[in-house]
Amino acid sequence: MTEIADLAEKAVKEAVRLGASDVSALCYGVREGMVRFSNNSVTVTKNLINVELELYVAKSKKRILGASTNPSPNGIRDFVKQLLDACQHLPESPDYTPLPRGKRYRASGAERTAPVADKLLAVSRDAIDSALSEGAKRVSGALTSRNVALSVYTSTGVSGSDVYGSTVLNVRAFAEGDASGHGLSCAPIVTGIGAEEAGQRAGEYAKKAVGAKTCQAGTYDVIMSPTVAADIFQHVASAASAFEVDAGISFLSGKKGKRIAVNGFTAFDDPAAEGGLVRRRCDDEGVSTGKRTLIRNGKLETYLHNTTTARKFKEETTGNAGIITPHPWNLVVEPGDRSFHELVKEVNKGIIVTNNWYTRFQNTRTGEYSTLPRDAGFLIENGRIKTPVSGLRISDSIPRQLENIVAMSKERRWVQWWEVWLPTFTPWVLLKNVSITRAIG
Amino acid sequence: MDEDLARYAMETAQEKGAEYVEVRLQIDRETQCFLKNSIPEPAVILDAHGLSIRVLCDDALSFAATNDLSKASIRSLAEQAMKSAKASASMVKNPVRFSREKMEKAKWAAAEKKKLANVGADDLFKLLRELDSSIGKEKHEVSFVNKLLSASITVEEKIYLNSDGADLRSRVPRFQFYSFVTASYSGKLQTFTIPPGYAQLGESGGWEVVERLKLSSFVPEEAGKLAEAVKATENPPQETVDVVLGPDVTGLVSHESSGHPGEADRVLGREAAQAGESYLKKKDLGYRIGSSEAYVSDDPTMPHSMGFYLYDDEGVKARKRCLIDGGVIRELLHNRSTAFEFKLKSNGSSRATLYDREPIVRMANTFVEPGDHALEELLEPVKLGVYIKSFMEWNIDDKRLNQRYVGMESYLIKNGEVKAPVKNPVLEITTPKFWSSVDARGKDLGFRAAHCGKGDPMQAIPVWTGGPSIRLKNVRVGRR
Repeated sequence: MTEIADLAEKAVKEAVRLGASDVSALCYGVREGMVRFSNNSVTVTKNLINVELELYVAKSKKRILGASTNPSPNGIRDFVKQLLDACQHLPESPDYTPLPRGKRYRASGAERTAPVADKLLAVSRDAIDSALSEGAKRVSGALTSRNVALSVYTSTGVSGSDVYGSTVLNVRAFAEGDASGHGLSCAPIVTGIGAEEAGQRAGEYAKKAVGAKTCQAGTYDVIMSPTVAADIFQHVASAASAFEVDAGISFLSGKKGKRIAVNGFTAFDDPAAEGGLVRRRCDDEGVSTGKRTLIRNGKLETYLHNTTTARKFKEETTGNAGIITPHPWNLVVEPGDRSFHELVKEVNKGIIVTNNWYTRFQNTRTGEYSTLPRDAGFLIENGRIKTPVSGLRISDSIPRQLENIVAMSKERRWVQWWEVWLPTFTPWVLLKNVSITRAIG
Repeated sequence: MDEDLARYAMETAQEKGAEYVEVRLQIDRETQCFLKNSIPEPAVILDAHGLSIRVLCDDALSFAATNDLSKASIRSLAEQAMKSAKASASMVKNPVRFSREKMEKAKWAAAEKKKLANVGADDLFKLLRELDSSIGKEKHEVSFVNKLLSASITVEEKIYLNSDGADLRSRVPRFQFYSFVTASYSGKLQTFTIPPGYAQLGESGGWEVVERLKLSSFVPEEAGKLAEAVKATENPPQETVDVVLGPDVTGLVSHESSGHPGEADRVLGREAAQAGESYLKKKDLGYRIGSSEAYVSDDPTMPHSMGFYLYDDEGVKARKRCLIDGGVIRELLHNRSTAFEFKLKSNGSSRATLYDREPIVRMANTFVEPGDHALEELLEPVKLGVYIKSFMEWNIDDKRLNQRYVGMESYLIKNGEVKAPVKNPVLEITTPKFWSSVDARGKDLGFRAAHCGKGDPMQAIPVWTGGPSIRLKNVRVGRR
């Protein structure tokens, strides 16, 4: 920690010495271990040890941002000079906003033992064995554990550090034919990972998905698992970034203070959420972070801001910098009041989607998109789970779906995996009237 | 870059008992600029610099990387890689082995006439301002209410050594451009990208790429065409029709439904929990997937291409690969590990994006081979059909069987002639149906740049997708 704190401080002082008016440095020390497996066999182990410096520099209202993985004293000096040299040739930015004054804050979190791949093997084995014991024939996945030590130092008086971790176990089990099921467990540290439960869920879904057939395209009620709901909600949180709004590519443009979801839907960004996979006490500009309610009872309360977008929107920064793009840290969706079985009972004609991938937009401004259910899916008729289904596509719009939320579960899960970049704590979600399509031929 | 350090890393792993070692020292430098609503965002300069080691020991594979390039750190990294390989050996049910390949010493680079070392962020901003002006505020009564433009230059340099004798130095400079535009017409707001389909214009090469891509004419012309597309109100026909696809669409289809399922690591299940598997099985070489007009290739050696390389990241010499040959699956994309499983030779498909990413099986420049038809000849026999020239939304399932492309610039075809624009025709079709419906291919071969995602951690690798206009017989087109 001392080493990366020194690097951040040195970089800022060097930039100030060279005439910069505003400087913010973030120095990350990252250690990551990973075990990947497929067909019940470990395919590769990985160990990564990196130190990365991110530096924002402004001089004469000209702005530049850099990232370097050359952390030697000479490397830092050369990189700072490179940024300042490049900066002087840039155009002045009408959006230039001085970095705000800040304060020192104390280190959070204890330094942890660095994760290494060989310490993750036993957990991976538990996941594989649990899936097989539920009837899976073959199991694939990855267990990734990451420790991040972050130091922040700015020319405006901010200095401090955070230590946080994220561990993600992603399990995909296959039974006969193409039947597959997905299990996931996310926690700040590896001891929080439920390997047996994730493996069992993947294996059980795979077994239940055997014999899946496609069904007619049309309008169905859909129960989204937390994994699927997290994918959709992360796009909502991203669309709340004032950068996306200002760039005109957000379906939340012009919606601040307006109803965008059903009454009772509440979601917030929380950089210190318990169980969250990111922990940040100040953002990339050195501004203190905090819990920010994005949507309260269906109404969009705020966009996510850095100081530049806040000035432009005549609002206060929300402590979500990104120097260029403000962004959420951990998204938390308030739970509903139903059990999973109560959600199923409410559906006459519907589909359970346990996993999805490949969400793409036809029009980001209106939120029209499609995504592909993957792994186990099930038809619901008259409140009962019937046959497994596959080969479908959700083809709808996110704003429409936010207004079509019928109910949510009491149970919530943390989700982050290959398809969901934003750590999201979300319940199961029941949506009415979702458009389902399928390929022809 | 310090070659001695790479040799030291290799020797350390060998001392510890590695049966195979490879070391990659890599520097990636990037300068990227954004213009949002005609106002510059901060310029971005990235410098990723480090070393990776990959070892095989006791049939187990281990990868490790760091940017701490002290000898002590490199020794510790090599030891950790060996320790993890040995520890995992008891959980390796399917031994990881590599095919025997001819290894060479070579120094290679993508051609670079106007050195990117002489290009700065100020040059990128100047270019973006010109392109922003060329798009303007409106075209054809359609207002452009928001614009986000990006241009970037990258230089990738590598030293690659392995214990089988490969000794390679490489340098690949690239330029790329993309943009988002929000258009407003008659109360309707529509976002699109230039080029459409969230693609990029990009090539390997120096600053001369900007002229080669004809950006100054392409960007405003495309903005005009897409503005007209925003005005479309007519729905596509609902009956079975013939469809003509433009190169933008054809290229992505070849990438998604031939290139990806043709990656041998997917076929073997190695990417199952992330990027997915494939409709192809190990026994499927020679399987007929399409008509006699279906031809797809992948060629890393194409000059100027985005996915250009002459040796892959396992030291294997690159060559053109024939994926679909007259409708028949002819070849998969292999690295040395999958080639061993298939009892074949690697065809040089192993790539990694950065120093801290493991090399895996990747495409380079995947494309439908051109035919001999002019566009007019493709259209001529179509009594009623749809011409989908470009698209925005697309996706495909993780076995690569169920794909969808939603048209952007699209037209009705009547009696062999292009008629009124049609609104968002949806081609949602299975892969066998698609390739079996290919009836004729044009000669207007074109390419788009993209960054293809795969791997865990994710690796977005530069590729070209390409093809000519093609005609599909008797398919259904949906409405959004």
